[in-house]
Amino acid sequence: MNLREFNRILRQTLFLPILLLLILAGFITWEISRSTAELRALEHSDDVTEYALRLEKLIVDQETGLRGYQLTGDPSMLTPYKAAAPQITRQFSALHGLVAGNDTQQAHLANVQDRYRIWLGFAQGVLDRDPAVVNEPNLNQHGRELMNNLRGAVGEILETESQLRRVRAEMSLRIEHRELIAVLASSVVVGVFLGIFTTSRMRRVSRTYDATLDEVSRQAEEIYERRQWLQTTLESIGDAVIACDEDGKVEFMNAVAQQLTGWKPDEAMGRPLTEVFYIINEETREEAENPVEKVRRLDAVVGLANHTALIARDGKEYVIDDSAAPIRAEDGAMAGIVLVFRDVTDQRRTEAALIAGEKLAVAGRLAASIAHEIHNPLDSVANAHYLLQRESDPEKRAEYLRLAQQELNRTMQISRTLLSLYREPVAPIPVDLKELAEGVLLLLDRRLAQQDVHVERQFSEPNVVEGFPAELRQVFTNIFMNALEAAGKGGRIRIRMEPVAAQELRGAGTMVEVIDSGPGISEQAGQNLFQPFFTTKGENGTGLGLWVSNGIVQKHGGSIRISNSHDGDLRGACVRVYLPMRTMADASHRATAHVA
Amino acid sequence: MGEAEAVTANPLILCIDDEALGLQIRKAVLEREGYRVLTALDGASGLNLFVDEPVEGVILDYFMPGMDGGQVAVEMRRQRPEVPILLLSAYVNLPAEVIRMVDFTVVKGEGPAELLVKVRRMLGGDEAGDGAEALGESA
Repeated sequence: MNLREFNRILRQTLFLPILLLLILAGFITWEISRSTAELRALEHSDDVTEYALRLEKLIVDQETGLRGYQLTGDPSMLTPYKAAAPQITRQFSALHGLVAGNDTQQAHLANVQDRYRIWLGFAQGVLDRDPAVVNEPNLNQHGRELMNNLRGAVGEILETESQLRRVRAEMSLRIEHRELIAVLASSVVVGVFLGIFTTSRMRRVSRTYDATLDEVSRQAEEIYERRQWLQTTLESIGDAVIACDEDGKVEFMNAVAQQLTGWKPDEAMGRPLTEVFYIINEETREEAENPVEKVRRLDAVVGLANHTALIARDGKEYVIDDSAAPIRAEDGAMAGIVLVFRDVTDQRRTEAALIAGEKLAVAGRLAASIAHEIHNPLDSVANAHYLLQRESDPEKRAEYLRLAQQELNRTMQISRTLLSLYREPVAPIPVDLKELAEGVLLLLDRRLAQQDVHVERQFSEPNVVEGFPAELRQVFTNIFMNALEAAGKGGRIRIRMEPVAAQELRGAGTMVEVIDSGPGISEQAGQNLFQPFFTTKGENGTGLGLWVSNGIVQKHGGSIRISNSHDGDLRGACVRVYLPMRTMADASHRATAHVA
Repeated sequence: MGEAEAVTANPLILCIDDEALGLQIRKAVLEREGYRVLTALDGASGLNLFVDEPVEGVILDYFMPGMDGGQVAVEMRRQRPEVPILLLSAYVNLPAEVIRMVDFTVVKGEGPAELLVKVRRMLGGDEAGDGAEALGESA
């Protein structure tokens, strides 16, 4: 039930009773008005009776006066007779008015008036006589008869009116009775109806109220359960979670966060995040930017900078990997910040070891070539030495010496190349990629020759980028070796190098494209190429080559893309390495472990 | 007519290696020891000489572009199995089946003295040297 419906019920329960009571009042008023008419009729009858009786009394007074005069002959006895005369006239006219609507009574009244006139004629006769002879038995008899007639006529009026009154009184009584019953009945009907109506409405409101109460308590329970569930979920997350309010004060931290920061939740609550979550740059040891500030500044999910270390309350240090995200209210405003981080100390160590291992593996794979490269000229030098010992002809000796020197120079060159694999500057230096690629190809020359793989070079100038040559050499060794192995016996590799102009998201640099004539990359392999330990070479690969190479290239600000070539004659894998002309990389962020 | 004498006096050795400079010096060393030396810079031309010339011993480099030493040896064994082959390589770990197929192996860098000893054995005794060497190798 919504508020509108409730208001409607409220209006119903207010206005319906008022309406019904008004109707009841109207009905009662009507009934009363009807009984009033009856009462008035009754009163009328009483009036008529009263006037008739008064008329009779006045006439009797006149007769009494006349009789007194007859008996005494004293004219003073006639005073009542004379005094009543005008009153009798008034009584008649009043009675005329009263019985105007009743023919019977009018007839009776006319009769009374006639008889009165007759008697009055008789009285006048008496008065006209000699006062000495007015008291005569005959005369008296006649007067009495006339008077009896008159009184009989008045008696008719009274009788009729009395009957009328009886009828009216009965009627009035009946109406009163009916009225009572009607009022009682209608009151009962209205009362019962109102009772039922109100009860039903109240029951409805009450039911709704109960339902609402149930709903509210159910929702409260649900909210509580959901909250508990969320709390448990957050607590159970394997990563550390800290939530802050919009001012950066800690509001929640789960078990892992407690373990890593060394803070108990009740101690940490309400404290600034920077106090509980104290992070520094692992290498510079400077305090790292407060993630709350960073999120507020960028208003987006942010990852922490690399090499962030968390200093726990007890001084223990953890290398962490984390992200911070704004908590948004429904209106989109930032209501807080949630931090998720994990201890990657061991992971970093493992990665560093893997990277170092891969570097050694790369060197190891090159060792065979290097041995061959060095043993060949050394063998020649040994042979030349053998000949020199036994030769006396100066011309021939000079020739042997020249050959020996030539082979020694080659050995030196190989040795230098080998050394540069491990010697690394502290800051990025200009690296000529063409020279670097040629150096790598020189080391791979034997293998290329053995596999009879033809390398097609399409190098355009300039190819100088900033970087760490040993690391880049490792990248290209890896990519060239992959191409060589993919191309197989008698295969071909095309290496293209061209400068690329600055684009929206990357600066100017050099693109190195390596395409082989191999079978290309399967879709399944394509998804995992940059994953560590993924290899298509079975026992012969570590599965770390591209993973490490990708790390190195990314550190240089570049990228590696691998696809299948659609180039007319070469349909194998196409590896495109982009390296920017200027790199942000520095030695402290060396991606590969430095082998001293 | 003089061919048989020449064979016994100055054995003809076929030397195959893709390293031109090394091959040149190795040839000088062998010639100084009195051998006649034919050289080839790859397996295919070496096989041609092997078929055309009365070669008595072969010094074969393993690691070469195109056909490697193993493949060349297989072809030579097919053509003239009696001609001894010395496999020369900078590789320390040569495939076992290749080592089984050839008569001698020398690792580059062992020095000319070792090479000459093995060449002498290879050509010296059809009767004794081969078997003795085979025993020596396996031991």
